[in-house]
Amino acid sequence: MKFYVCIKMVPDVYAPIQIKEGELIMDGDRMVLNAYDASAVEEALVVKEKHGGEVEVVCIGPAKASETIRKALAMGADKATHILADSEKEYDSASYSKVLAAFFSDKEYDVLSLGKQSQDTDSGLTGSMVAERLGLPYATNAVGLEAGNGSLIVKRQGDTGQEMIELPFPCAVTCSNDMNDPRIPNLKGIMASKRKPIDQIDISSLGINEAELVAKTTVIGYEEKPARQAGKKYEGEPEEVAREVAQLLDTEANAL
Amino acid sequence: MSTILTYIAITDGKIKRSSLEVLSHCKKIGDAAGHTVEAVLIDANASSFVEGIQKYGASKIHVVEDPVFTNHMNTPLLKALAKVMEKVNPAVFAFASTESTKDILGALAANQDAAVIADVSSFELSPNGVKAKRPVMAAKIMANAEAISDRVIVSVRSGSYDLNESPASAEVISVDFSMDENEVKATLKEIISATGDTVDLNEAEAIVAAGRGIKDDEGKALVAELASILNAGIGASRALTESGVYDPSLQIGQTGKVVSPQLYIAVGISGAIQHVAGMTNSKVIVAINKDPDAPIFEVADYGIVGDLYKILPPFIEEIKKIKS
Ligand SMILES: Cc1cc2nc3c(=O)[nH]c(=O)nc-3n(C[C@H](O)[C@H](O)[C@H](O)COP(=O)(O)OP(=O)(O)OC[C@H]3O[C@@H](n4cnc5c(N)ncnc54)[C@H](O)[C@@H]3O)c2cc1C
Ligand SMILES: Nc1ncnc2c1ncn2[C@@H]1O[C@H](COP(=O)(O)O)[C@@H](O)[C@H]1O
Repeated sequence: MKFYVCIKMVPDVYAPIQIKEGELIMDGDRMVLNAYDASAVEEALVVKEKHGGEVEVVCIGPAKASETIRKALAMGADKATHILADSEKEYDSASYSKVLAAFFSDKEYDVLSLGKQSQDTDSGLTGSMVAERLGLPYATNAVGLEAGNGSLIVKRQGDTGQEMIELPFPCAVTCSNDMNDPRIPNLKGIMASKRKPIDQIDISSLGINEAELVAKTTVIGYEEKPARQAGKKYEGEPEEVAREVAQLLDTEANAL
Repeated sequence: MSTILTYIAITDGKIKRSSLEVLSHCKKIGDAAGHTVEAVLIDANASSFVEGIQKYGASKIHVVEDPVFTNHMNTPLLKALAKVMEKVNPAVFAFASTESTKDILGALAANQDAAVIADVSSFELSPNGVKAKRPVMAAKIMANAEAISDRVIVSVRSGSYDLNESPASAEVISVDFSMDENEVKATLKEIISATGDTVDLNEAEAIVAAGRGIKDDEGKALVAELASILNAGIGASRALTESGVYDPSLQIGQTGKVVSPQLYIAVGISGAIQHVAGMTNSKVIVAINKDPDAPIFEVADYGIVGDLYKILPPFIEEIKKIKS
């Protein structure tokens, strides 16, 4: 089976953030593999280990994104394509989906796998956009994958329960981190990743009109979230503090 | 004059309140700008829900009724939405954010060449399209974003707006729809449902959420009892949905559901940013945790430091007294 997994380099959500005059200031070094994409890579590796095949990762990003790609290769992906993007340009999910769709238009694969969302923006749009552009059957928010005979069985987390969906190959799927715990690359994996091929290509080589890629959604600025005031902490005899807070919920907070 | 279209979601045979919140907001901004506001209902029994949305002021209700919509599947939903969107040609198409919506939002935007902005906590019309606020970086900060297009698709987090009735008697338009099996592309094999009578967390007035501090059936029973006297929904952290202690549909947070109840009681939850991302919009937050330094206390209005097994029984007893 051939898996393509789309991976994105994103800022670490644990990194300290500052906002200065509407601009977001973050430690530029703290970029990581999107957690949801790590789960997509992991699951592709698990399916490959069971059924054979190949796992290739694809990443659109600046030169620095090669570190993110190495991480996926160190986990065990076989090879990678790095689609170099100008870090000065602002792209949105629609822009990325156009680049990915152009890239995949002449490729052969069974499963195109993506993260269910970027952990920094929580957009969750790229997957179904790529599927629609390529005309692929797809499922989002997968929490389990099983390779069948010529099809993929996806367990999808829906609003009130889980849906088992069968998708004929080729298909697309977006993965939740509830699917698995991504492996941490070991030394052997890290060493091996250095010898694995990364094919670097330029967005311009995909024959997309630049104007097509201009983001239709832009961030004008950032602001602090109206912070919640930490309330009071009640410590002491369990019986007493429990009763006290229950009382306050009634009389003070009016929440009962 | 243009049109604002809103999608009315049906889940488990009920109109999703959050989609009426969105309709209420659309009616308000639509009236202010002189735009008409219309609604679309898509369900196997769509016409039976028309009555329930009449009082929210849409001037037209487009009804797509077909047995194919008995369960959520993306291809038919997408086809129906695209069809209505082409017919109405709305400047804005607004959705309540649900898992079903998230499943098709990007595809619909790509199909209709519209701009799309997902999971906003508020939005307004702007001369270029739509301006919106949305939480980013695990909901630590807000981004002010703009979608620039004469056709913008937007999805809104539940609890962002209040319901607001504004009587109008909508013209009901039934939309022709058919789909043959080959078009559906995917096969829905099975639905593994959460226990049918659980409270919809998106809409719950109160939630008791359990974390890894809940170690056993005794802990679960305490959570269930507290939820029951408060008429609350039960939620859980990822630690407990992952280990199968609670149903995965109950997960609250960045990966799970975003909730905004009047009262949120976090029991044995540490308060990881990804959990907090899903619950900081609760009105009153209570945290019970034995670790006085647990980050959950930073967002809690009332923090009880102590062993939940010792705290919950008297807490439950006292609330029972207050309630009776
Ligand atoms: C991309 C990504 C997405 C994620 N999405 C989500 C999400 O949607 N929702 C989510 O919840 N998590 C999510 N997580 C996981 C999150 O980071 C935490 O791991 C998780 O929330 C921890 O759950 P917990 O607080 O129950 O467990 P822990 O962090 O282990 O905390 C348990 C707490 O219980 C307390 N405790 C223990 N025993 C007792 C007792 N007897 N009495 C009182 N207190 C006690 C402890 O002091 C501790 O604070 C996500 C992680 C990632 C990377
Ligand atoms: N620059 C990119 N390179 C590769 N994949 C991407 C890129 N941007 C988005 N994706 C894929 O789309 C998913 C998230 O989409 P979204 O939340 O819309 O940003 C990610 O988890 C990736 O799988």
